[in-house]
Amino acid sequence: MDLEKVFHMKGGLGETSYSKNSSLQKRAADKVKHITLEAIEEMFVESRPKSLGIADLGCSSGPNTLSNIKELVNAIERGSRKLFEPAPEFRVYLNDLPTNDFNTIFQALPDLYRELKKGKKHGNPSIYIAGYPGTFYGRLFPDKCLHFIYSSNSLHWLSRVPPGIYNEKGESINRKGIYISENSPPRVAQAYFQQFKHDFSLFLRSRSEEVVIGGRMVLILLGRNGPNHVDRGTAFLWEILYRSLATLVSKGEIEEEKLDSYEVHFYAPSKEEVEDEIRKDGSFKLDRFEMFEIEKDTGNSSSSYGKAMAMTVRSIQESMISHHFGEAILDNLFEEYGRLVDEEMAKEDIRSISFVLVLQKL
Amino acid sequence: MEVTQVLHMNKGEGETSYAKNSIVQMKIISVATSIIEEAVVECLEKKLTAESMGIADLGCSSGPNTLMVISEIIDIVYGRTNKTGNPLPELRIYLNDLPGNDFNNIFISLPEFYKKLKINKNIAQEGCFISAMPGSFYGRLFPKKSLHFVHSSSSLHWLSQVPRALDSSILKPLNKGKIYISKSSLSSVHDAYLSQFKRDFSLFLKCRSKEIVVGGHLVLSFMGRVSADPSSEESCMQWELLAQALMSMVLEGLVEEEKVDSFNAPYYAPSAEEVRSTIEEEDSFTINRLEAFEIDWDGGAPSNNNFQNKINKIEKYNLSRGQQVAKTIRAVVESMLEIHFGREIMDELFKRYAELVDDYFSTTRAKYIDLVISLTKKD
Repeated sequence: MDLEKVFHMKGGLGETSYSKNSSLQKRAADKVKHITLEAIEEMFVESRPKSLGIADLGCSSGPNTLSNIKELVNAIERGSRKLFEPAPEFRVYLNDLPTNDFNTIFQALPDLYRELKKGKKHGNPSIYIAGYPGTFYGRLFPDKCLHFIYSSNSLHWLSRVPPGIYNEKGESINRKGIYISENSPPRVAQAYFQQFKHDFSLFLRSRSEEVVIGGRMVLILLGRNGPNHVDRGTAFLWEILYRSLATLVSKGEIEEEKLDSYEVHFYAPSKEEVEDEIRKDGSFKLDRFEMFEIEKDTGNSSSSYGKAMAMTVRSIQESMISHHFGEAILDNLFEEYGRLVDEEMAKEDIRSISFVLVLQKL
Repeated sequence: MEVTQVLHMNKGEGETSYAKNSIVQMKIISVATSIIEEAVVECLEKKLTAESMGIADLGCSSGPNTLMVISEIIDIVYGRTNKTGNPLPELRIYLNDLPGNDFNNIFISLPEFYKKLKINKNIAQEGCFISAMPGSFYGRLFPKKSLHFVHSSSSLHWLSQVPRALDSSILKPLNKGKIYISKSSLSSVHDAYLSQFKRDFSLFLKCRSKEIVVGGHLVLSFMGRVSADPSSEESCMQWELLAQALMSMVLEGLVEEEKVDSFNAPYYAPSAEEVRSTIEEEDSFTINRLEAFEIDWDGGAPSNNNFQNKINKIEKYNLSRGQQVAKTIRAVVESMLEIHFGREIMDELFKRYAELVDDYFSTTRAKYIDLVISLTKKD
């Protein structure tokens, strides 16, 4: 299965869309916004380019995409004013897989342009926003055209399910799970780790041709604390998904064989694993590395935490699940998912960890 | 009607989609091939593009035509560099259309497209970058001096807005019973259209002049006319028949007369003279070529493209020529008509339109006039 042709966040603006169910991702990005803005301001003050290239890798579709651009552009405009200089021309590159819902982002662009230009001298800022579809595990952009790369909640997605978890007959050896879990044979964790190393090093290598010297990258992704591959925080959500699918198997709604063969193309690395690849690649230095957690959203009391989590995960996983199991089971699956999340959270407050990295091109 | 928000070709791949009903536009692209080739080769000869070449298609739409054009241009660059032994420049390819265009449809085809480039021409991922730049081309789209070759086909006859004098939200309807310039229209209707065209086309040229390097080329194809008379059949008949179809529904009480009176197409088919004088006045480009081609309403004889041949064969089994033409027109104008007249009447409208077209075909060989213009950016 070619991931590039299947995997995408749920498009559009409907109830189950990513647009309507990505407040968790927004809170993650907001939590480290000060780091993101500091990084771009530092880069700008050092290099003062007349034409500034900014890329968002894994931009997805929805309000977060465009609010990111606004924040970054505003930060640079502020920086320019402080230096008594006119703002640079902005080239914005929005990247995601070809199956991403770019149409919805594009339709919102005229309003974004209007907002950015409101109250300013005619035509300012000069800003050109384009969509670049493709996998970021490989080249995406012309040589040396970028000064700043932002990637949030994308790099924990691998380029494919690691081939190492399939035996010679093509069956998955990870029978009692869909990700690395306590029940997984050790080879499973190794296979996932190998795939991550391959992917992340390719990511760094590709970006090194595209980013100018002194350019910055801010990467936000899910991670895990400590070397142990079986990590409660990250594995939690996948285990719940596995158990929800298993419930549907026991009710006869899904064939057991289908569940056995379902695996996710995800990996939450440890700090050391990330640092290792950066060091090995050698084109970037790690300016900053921080870990953070996102608090439960206590604001919205109209639906349970479990239900909200279920909607969030659904908007992310729907494309892969319906490709493997069909669409009919989605509603039941995520109802069960929400219920299980609430049950588990009542026993123990489980949080996943995120990393934010700032890299500088050498 | 906010044209930039409303105008888009019918999305997806269904029966009434643009993807399935764009053989006329494909024919238009193919008649310009030798002019495109000439322009691209000149660009390469001037060595402007040694390392990195910026190529843009304005009004790229979606469906099979979009990547066909890009493929042709890449073929020309590839063929030429092979001949001269120069290395292939990095290709930066920008697809532009209004934000409401179905870009998702194009993107889904990209992985296959890149794969073929690699297999057929050994062009690696780092040799070719295809992106989408949504926005109106009546305004700046690209950074300064970033482009070497710009192509635009079947797009510049769309105006940025319905001419102001015809905007009946403010004034009494000037063009009653009609939706474009017609034999019975007042001369002020033509004046309004011409004035809007001049303003739009000049702005288009001015914006492109900032984005294209000196010596860079522009090849434009759009609907026009050879006659000095703006109400000539060659430039108005498709709208005339559409207006007739609407009026027949007015007579039966299916459509409000006021609706027809207040609708005017944001479209203009200029004469070669009008185009020439606008370009010369704007003064950023020299004209290398300005030619007119006749294009049959139903796309004419099958093109060399096997894919479209298959479609033509299937379609022709069950549909009259009038019905085929109606489908091509519907794929293009439906978004605008729906907003104004309502979705419910579309099927009936195009059924009647097809009948009127069939009638017209029985006495006339119906043709569009397609103008092809090749320009070079001046110093």
